[in-house]
Amino acid sequence: MNNIKIKSKNLNVYYGDKQALFDVNLDLNEKEVTALIGPSGCGKSTFIRCINRMNDVIDICKVTGNIEMDGMNINDKDLDVVSLRERVGMVFQKPNPFPKSIYDNISYGPKIHGKGETKSELNQIVENSLKKSALWEEVKDRLDEPGTSLSGGQQQRLCIARAISVNPEVILMDEPCSALDPIATAKIEELIDELKKTYTIVIVTHSMAQAVRVSQKTGFFHLGKLIEVGKTEKIFKNPDNKMTQDYITGRFG
Amino acid sequence: MNFVLLFLITIFSLSLFFYGRSKTKSISIEKNIRLNALPKFYGYYLVLWCSIPALVFLLVWSLFEPVIIKSIIIETAANQGAIFSDKNEANLIYEKIKAIHLGTYFGDIDSILRESALAYAKFINLFTNSKVVLIFGIIIASVIYSLKKIKNNNKARDDVEVILKGLLFVSSLIAILTTLGIIFSLLFESIKFFSVINVFDYLFGTNWSPQRAFVRDASSITAAEFEELKDAFGFIPLIAGTSFIAFIAMLVAVPIGLFSGIYMAEYASIKVRRISKPIIEILAGIPTVVYGFFAALTVGPFFRQVGENLGLTVSSESALAAGLIMGIMIIPYVSSLSDDVINSVPQSLRDGSYAVGATKSETIKQVVIPAALPGIIGSVLLAVSRAIGETMIVVMAAGLAANLTINPLESTTTITTQIVMILVGDQEFDSPKTQSAFALGLTLFIATLILNYIAQRAVKKYREKYD
Repeated sequence: MNNIKIKSKNLNVYYGDKQALFDVNLDLNEKEVTALIGPSGCGKSTFIRCINRMNDVIDICKVTGNIEMDGMNINDKDLDVVSLRERVGMVFQKPNPFPKSIYDNISYGPKIHGKGETKSELNQIVENSLKKSALWEEVKDRLDEPGTSLSGGQQQRLCIARAISVNPEVILMDEPCSALDPIATAKIEELIDELKKTYTIVIVTHSMAQAVRVSQKTGFFHLGKLIEVGKTEKIFKNPDNKMTQDYITGRFG
Repeated sequence: MNFVLLFLITIFSLSLFFYGRSKTKSISIEKNIRLNALPKFYGYYLVLWCSIPALVFLLVWSLFEPVIIKSIIIETAANQGAIFSDKNEANLIYEKIKAIHLGTYFGDIDSILRESALAYAKFINLFTNSKVVLIFGIIIASVIYSLKKIKNNNKARDDVEVILKGLLFVSSLIAILTTLGIIFSLLFESIKFFSVINVFDYLFGTNWSPQRAFVRDASSITAAEFEELKDAFGFIPLIAGTSFIAFIAMLVAVPIGLFSGIYMAEYASIKVRRISKPIIEILAGIPTVVYGFFAALTVGPFFRQVGENLGLTVSSESALAAGLIMGIMIIPYVSSLSDDVINSVPQSLRDGSYAVGATKSETIKQVVIPAALPGIIGSVLLAVSRAIGETMIVVMAAGLAANLTINPLESTTTITTQIVMILVGDQEFDSPKTQSAFALGLTLFIATLILNYIAQRAVKKYREKYD
């Protein structure tokens, strides 16, 4: 059993008057993949956006309760969001490379955090990130081409490389394969398997099969509540909760 | 008379709508057949057939009637013994005859004029009567035709579609033809001008003093006069003044407009945005003449006062005052266009930047602005073409003398100002001075056309990126 990396206690999230998460208590283990499943609008994405405080971007969003990473309170008002996001990277549903070159897409993060002061250090970071995201071989000869010129799957791996570039501890993935074809999806899943050796990964997915393939732990959300959480094997083989059972067998959602 | 006719046509075609609708309904019930279209389409069909031919006829007739009557009357007057040597005198006589007919002429009336006035009255009567007869003839013919079609259960829906398509086509044709007409009138007058003044003397001359061109008739110009004229129409001071003032205006409008656009798009809360955006857009709604007297009466003298206190000579009509006010006028264009462009940068790009730990200003500077840049350039270029074409402010605040200067405190002039100066008051239309206005107009038109083209290309390129 790995150490607990992130721990949420009675986490509540409100969008204006509407409550999106109800008392979520969820622990994420270090160097493990945790999958979050559940029907659309159940709060999975809202939950992972609490981990890197992306909800700050939304004016009307209010978060209460506790969420800790290595004992540090993420929800603390005085917390430096910039250094939090340096430690917690994120990959989005739709590949969102910047309209810049492949090189600049990767070097963007390190430059922001003052890493890679010399050109050669920066080159090294870019190369390492692209290698870790299994994109290096495909793009090494065209680093100055725009990131948007890549295929969808390559773009998503570019975004993963961008997340890796600042050397985070946790990577959040919000349905990273929903816009990709099966081949590109397979590549990303392979990559996730590789990345979990170094990083703690949380992945939101609508595909049960993907959850089974990539994750060690699975949480099932419904209507803003965490219904059940446990080892992936157990959740999919014999869940304790009737609702989980219904969802994974496709009877609702 | 025309209004009565229009009214009658309207009433008649409206009643035909109801007739057509109920008639086809009853036919379908009586003969127990399925109509080829809903009854209302038969109503539309009748309306269109009843009104369009008659209206088109009325329009064409109204365009040509005065011309034809005029030529007939002038000819009769000539036959009566009226003497006129050229077109202008003929026109004068025609106007006199018309005035006599209307009873508004108070000069001496000789027998020629009296006879012609009687003839005029006769022709007017004849034309009006035949117009009415013809219109009713056309209406009756087209109504009979369309009623017959309807009785045969025609495909009224398709026919209405075809007629409507034709109508829409004609409307766009009119818009296009108007544009072409304007371009050609500019072009022909400019050609006349360039037949007197060499294009290169015009484009590269550094002296603009068209008041020297007192020559009456461009076609009978003497060599001495030509020498005099040759360097009176130098375009350089005007384009220099125009660009200079536009440059000062952009210096004001681009930073303020862009920054306020960024603020509106990225920082302002919904509440602030809802209040402040319309306020900024009010700036765009102020008539330019108001900006003009603000520039001429408030800002210009203010600069002069300040300049005097600092020991500088500032002309009370200065490029600085005009440019500054023009810049303020343009702010809302830059601001609201760049606001739109920045808003259309997908949120996912911002999220991507925040997610690696960038702050808001870093994200704006390094991701949002570069992504929006083509659109921002487009908005700036549109603002430039607006600045170049602006007239009222510069007429009132920039001065009239064509100084070739880069001192913003001196007065300078622009293309549009000069066009106004040339065409204000009574003008001989065949003097090079007047024709130079058309040449200036053409040059201005081409300049703004090129700018607009570049701007649209930039905006289009931007759009392709995120679709």
